[in-house]
Amino acid sequence: MLRLLATIRKEWLLLLRDRTGLTLLFAMPVVLITVMAMIEDAPFRDYQELKFDILAVDNDHGRLGKYIREGLEHSEQFRVIDTVKGHALTEQQARDLVNEGEYKICIIIPKGATGAIVSNANKIVNDISKRMGMPGVLPVSSRKDSLNVIVYFDPASKKAFKSAIHQALDNFLTQVETDLLLERIKQQLKKKDVPENDSMVIQLKAVGLKEQLTGPSQEIDVISNSVQHNVPAWSIFAMFFIVIPIAGNMIREREDGSLLRMKLIPGSYLAILTGKMLFFVAVCVVQFYLMMQVGIYLLPLLGLPKLVLGQSLLAAFIVAIGIGLASTSYGILVGTVFKTPNQALNFGAISIVILSAIGGIWIPLEIMPSHMQLIGHLSPLSWGLDAINDIYLRNAGVGHIWGHMGKLVLFAITLLCIAAVIEKRRLS
Amino acid sequence: MTSILVQDLHKTYKGALEPSLKGLNFSFPKGAIVGLLGPNGAGKTTTISILCGLVKADAGQVQIFDLPQNAMNRETIKRLIGVVPQQIALFPHLTAIENLEYFGNLYGLKGKLLRSRIDEYLQIFGLEKNGHKEVSHFSGGMKRRTNIIAAILHQPQLLVLDEPTAGVDVQSRSMILQFLRDYNQQGVSIVYTSHLLDEAQTICREVAIIDEGKAVVQGDTTELIARHPECRNLEDVFLHYTGHALRD
Repeated sequence: MLRLLATIRKEWLLLLRDRTGLTLLFAMPVVLITVMAMIEDAPFRDYQELKFDILAVDNDHGRLGKYIREGLEHSEQFRVIDTVKGHALTEQQARDLVNEGEYKICIIIPKGATGAIVSNANKIVNDISKRMGMPGVLPVSSRKDSLNVIVYFDPASKKAFKSAIHQALDNFLTQVETDLLLERIKQQLKKKDVPENDSMVIQLKAVGLKEQLTGPSQEIDVISNSVQHNVPAWSIFAMFFIVIPIAGNMIREREDGSLLRMKLIPGSYLAILTGKMLFFVAVCVVQFYLMMQVGIYLLPLLGLPKLVLGQSLLAAFIVAIGIGLASTSYGILVGTVFKTPNQALNFGAISIVILSAIGGIWIPLEIMPSHMQLIGHLSPLSWGLDAINDIYLRNAGVGHIWGHMGKLVLFAITLLCIAAVIEKRRLS
Repeated sequence: MTSILVQDLHKTYKGALEPSLKGLNFSFPKGAIVGLLGPNGAGKTTTISILCGLVKADAGQVQIFDLPQNAMNRETIKRLIGVVPQQIALFPHLTAIENLEYFGNLYGLKGKLLRSRIDEYLQIFGLEKNGHKEVSHFSGGMKRRTNIIAAILHQPQLLVLDEPTAGVDVQSRSMILQFLRDYNQQGVSIVYTSHLLDEAQTICREVAIIDEGKAVVQGDTTELIARHPECRNLEDVFLHYTGHALRD
């Protein structure tokens, strides 16, 4: 125990002496998660949350144009722009502006669009009336070709963005057509013997859509937003960067001979290594909680959502220790395998970036290709992130994290065993 | 009784083309200052590593104070030996006292006993005013002296020093050599390796010269010089046995 405690004290003193290193160890992760949460905020928001300028050229001047315009503005997702510099927007101008990237979308409502919808509704009502033995008298256009609302997108627009806009506009068109059809049906039916005061309400939505929480608790409703993803994700990334100081520490000890001295002293080196590990795991846990504080207190000041921690603080604490163990053992392995600090720095840093990229730190695993998801689930960073997401987003408790914890601890033990074998070979 | 007995020691490192030790034999009496000398690559470091239990020999026998160096005795032998490595094996950003407290703790020393030993040795080595300074701010001589203190805190019966005066000024060297003589007077056996043969001649009662993994000669320092009339000093004896060819 004395060896273990002495090693923890020694590491603590060494960390305190290295003021710059100490500052970087805690300040850099704070800067990292703040920056990452801010720059990844927009991609994480649903398109419904963002407001786009949309150019609209209404050649129809009828009900469809009015309805689309009102619908777009009502959705609060779009600002409809139909004039430029005080002049009504032309189709050519709108196309040029979108092509130049000044606006993301432009819609052109063709001349006669409302008439086409009304004519189509009339034709349907006339057909129904005939089958019911009523005279079909609503006017129908003789026009054969179909009309389209044209949409232009900025060529740099993402596929998902285009798809969302398509869906929204399609909904408006369907809504207008449905409304007109119902209106025509009502008109036609009123020609039968219906009392004057019969308003005849037709409600189409018999079955609606309602979202409910899946978790055991109904108290909180956490949404996976930029903060909920980025704060835990980049915290885990930063915790894994403990590899660099640990590997450097081990290589320095080997180079300056202090490792040799430690091995010349009777007693197990394992106690010294355990002391070193415990110290760095504690540093990782402190880093983790510091970064959670950033998510709770600092990011909301910058206009981002507040981090929600879930309900089991104990589970989060245990997972933080598990991540610390995995990252520390990785640092010990890197420090054992490589001979110089430069080698360890390059390999350590790049390998963590790769493990984080495939492990869903940069972008969630769910949106990666399926084969990358399979690979991603092999990254210890993904185990840590999955565990934290379970706690923070799904309100999992201590009982639900042991699968992830088991993987993290097994990873740590495996790496330590490999390091021990390598060190033994080096001596022989 | 011998402090060290080495018999027919063999060692070849994995992947090495040549064996490091090829049947090395020597023995040193208990309570003496002895020199283990040899040119670069002779096998001194390998021999010391085997003596301390850091490296396992392929064949042969090593005894420290009549205890065979094996897995069963390894921890006991480690407690009997103090090793001063050639490198400054200290944490540069800890103070001298913090370094010594740490290594003392690893030896199981703590509290007043440890503190009194640290104070005593700092006094002996003239470092009492610098105990709270970071080792990185020390001169070469101060570092060497602290390096020695870290190896003797547990009061070993056998002290092995690898180039203990390399790169130090005359005053520090004089102090270190005087300390070794005084320490030896307390009954501690000392094994000294160095390329400074005038220093070895001054301090070592007996020397073993090894080359290419074998002992080429061993004996009383004065007698060895006297045995070769053409040799004026230990350096001449050394060159007589190991030749003038460069060892790079």
